Order: sequence, then structure tokens, then C-alpha cells
Amino acid sequence: MSHDDHSHPSPWGPHDWGHGAPHNSWGPLVMSMGIAIFLFSLASVYEWGEFMGWGYVPVSLLGLSIVLTGLVAIWRQDMSFDGSYEPKATGAPFRRIDIRKVALWVFLMSEMMVFTSLFSTYMRYRFGIESCEDVFLSGNWVEGTSVNCFEPASHLIASSWFHLAPGAINTFALIISSFTIVQALRYAKMNDIDDDLRRRKVTRYLGTTWFLAILFLTMKMIEWFLGFPLPGFLAEFNHGHDTIQSLYSEGYLINAESYQHHDYDTHYLAEHGHGVDHDSALYAMMQEGTHPGGHMMANIQVSASTFYVTTGTHGAHVFGGIIGLTYMTLKAAKGGYNPNNAVSIEYFGLYWHFVDLVWVLVFPFFYLY
Amino acid sequence: MAHYKILGQDPYWMNFFGLMLLTVIEVAAVGLDLSTLMTLTILTVIAIPKFIMIAAIFMHLYGDDDSGILTMTALFPAFFIIIMVLFVGLTHPDATTGLPDWCRPGNYGL
Repeated sequence: MSHDDHSHPSPWGPHDWGHGAPHNSWGPLVMSMGIAIFLFSLASVYEWGEFMGWGYVPVSLLGLSIVLTGLVAIWRQDMSFDGSYEPKATGAPFRRIDIRKVALWVFLMSEMMVFTSLFSTYMRYRFGIESCEDVFLSGNWVEGTSVNCFEPASHLIASSWFHLAPGAINTFALIISSFTIVQALRYAKMNDIDDDLRRRKVTRYLGTTWFLAILFLTMKMIEWFLGFPLPGFLAEFNHGHDTIQSLYSEGYLINAESYQHHDYDTHYLAEHGHGVDHDSALYAMMQEGTHPGGHMMANIQVSASTFYVTTGTHGAHVFGGIIGLTYMTLKAAKGGYNPNNAVSIEYFGLYWHFVDLVWVLVFPFFYLY
Repeated sequence: MAHYKILGQDPYWMNFFGLMLLTVIEVAAVGLDLSTLMTLTILTVIAIPKFIMIAAIFMHLYGDDDSGILTMTALFPAFFIIIMVLFVGLTHPDATTGLPDWCRPGNYGL
């Protein structure tokens, strides 16, 4: 039997880590192909938010099953990893740093570019397209004809504390989860506690991180699709409405060609005692009788797309984190982490902190401003 | 893992409390119904330390043996980010008329 056969008795794992690194793990390559198939076919399933039929659904599912196959292979190979072999970089400038750590930072660099592209797209459109509020107040619109303008999601989300609640809860959830994962790392690295206590502490903190990640996506779903009811006594703090509507039911959609909001309705504003801003051109035109007022319709496809693509990409990263956390929590529950292989938690933590870091920018500039 | 303390306390706990506090201020600033410019200023001013606190303490870009080179690695994309933001500004519809004289083509303040 050759050395290689001895180290890797099965391509499915588990690896014999005492004999060196598993150079032949095919999991990442297979996963990449699966993700590519899934994303390409998923893009054909919907067009402008409309379901295009079942034709590409089986291909999407095939892509997902390929991803799952790669994942299972990686997990089987990693489950036996006890920290006995941690290869170090030998070349400058990363000499003597764990190769996995360097690789993860290079990966995070590419992730930074992904999110920078999304942010710069948002900035370009946000500052380049006139806001719907400005268009409304300028009076350059007529009822019944849609105008192109930028309507930030924050106009809806930051309109009341209740609308803001899911995003705010998510912000706190991610910060707490960043803390719980470093706590998991701290206990995994402790030499002076017994194995059972370490197992329980690490499992508890990783499990809490997992729960907070699930909470994040649940809140996201409430914010995007579900909304939530309010007790009657709180309705007066929500403009008299007893439900918090989702972005979907508010009509804030990527295919919204004729979006309407009551802030852009002169009749609604008059009925609710606000009226149109007296310093605006629209008010002057209405006083002169050159503008009849009414309800402005807006094409907000660009603004909604930048919002959903950016926050959705971030949400996809959270989902990826949940998959990783599921495995790590199970491994921790089996007592799989010790001071020798605790860096695995640290390296996943780097990814997770990065996801938190992106949210630190997404939340104020997409939800609050 | 961190081998230092912040104000004599555990750095992770201190970082956690600091981030929570900054987030509360952030959310409250929006609730106060300030002007757009003031709100944007507050949000930006708060986002920067939050970003640094997570990167430096939670991601160990401060205090570890390899923090220096990994910080340089993390900052490498900053060059491309600056270029991207620059082009966002230069392709703004008002760029040809709204930018100061010294940075418009053919009129470099000479």
C-alpha cells in the first residue's frame, strides 16, 4: 500500500490527518460547479419577478444536489480533523502563518470587491437619479403617468420604529453572534478545563450563533414578505394602522413600474393635515392652478433592485454561514473541538465577522438613510 | 486570541458592549428626525469605529503576531475601492458642471 493510499483510504473521507494534509479533496471543486449550475438555472426560473415555468427547476435542484454532495464530502473529511496537521505558508510575506488563514483572508479580499461593486452601484444610482421626493415636490409629473426616480427603501423602513424593528433586531443579532463565536473560540482553546465542559461550552456558543443567524433570516423574511400585526394600543404609533406591512405588500418590488406611496399623494396629505411643503414648486404650482395635484406614480425598479440585490447577497452569505454553523455545532456536540484544532472556529469566525462587518455598512446606508 | 486588555477588562466583552452602544446611538439618531445631512454624518461617523472595532478586535487584526501583514492584506482592496468610488463620482451626471474648476478637463486651475 502506498503512502497516499494509507493517508486517504476513501475519497469520501474520513481523512487520516496524522499522515498529512488531504491534497486531493474534491469537495470545493464539485461545490463550485454545483453553485454555478444552480445560479445559472435559477436566473432563468424568474424574469422580472415572474415565474417562468418549471423547465429550469430540475436543473436548479440538480445544482443544489451537487453542492450538497461536495459539502458532505468536505464534512466527512474534516470531521476527523484533530489539529494534528496544520500546514504553514513558507513564502514571503506570509511565512509561518497557517495556509488556511492566509487563504481565508484572500477569499475575504475577493468578497470585499463583491460588496464594493454592489455599494458603488448603489451610490451611483442613489446620487445620479433624482429622488422620488424631489420629483414629487418639483411638480414635474402628472397623475397617471409613471416617472423614473430613486425611492430608497429607507423611506418605508425608517418611517416608524415598527418598520425599523426587523432590521434593528438583525443588527443586534449579528453583533451578539460575533461575540458568541469568539466565546466559542475562547472555550475551545482553553487548556485548563475538562473535555466535557469544553464540549458543552463550545456547543452552546456555536448553537447560539446558529440560532441568531436563523433569527436574522427570519426577520429578513418578515421584513420582505410577511409583515406582522400590531396590538391595538400600538396602532396610534403607526399612523393608525394595526399591521406592519412587508416591503412586498407595500409594492416595493424590482418590477415596480407604477409604485405609489401616500407621501406622494396630495389628496392624502391634505386629508391628514400635512399638506404639501409650502416652500416647494409643487405647492406654488397648485396655488397658481397650473398643477392639479394627485397621486404620483413612480418607476422604482432601479432603487428596488439595488436594495434587494445588496441585502439579498448579504442574506445569502448569512445562509452560507448557517450551513457551516450547522456542521460545526454538530462537530462540537460530538466533542470534536480541542485547543489543537480550535483555529477552525477562528477561521469560520473571520468569515462570520466579515458578514457582520458588511451589515455594519448595509444597515445605515440601506435601512436608515 | 487576544493577549491584551481594554481598560483592564476582557477585550471581547468591552468590544461587544461598545458595539451595542454605538448601534443604539445609530438607531436613535434616525428616530430623532434630524436633517438628512446630519443623519448621514452621524451614521458615517458611527459606522467607521464599528467597522474598525470588529476588524481589529473580533477579527484579530490587532494584537496578534501576524496582525500587521494580515491588516495589509485586508487593506489591499482599498486601492481598488478608492478607484471605484472615484469613478462613481466622475460619472455623476453633474460631474461636468458641478465639480470644482481644478478637476474639470481643460481647466486645471492654471
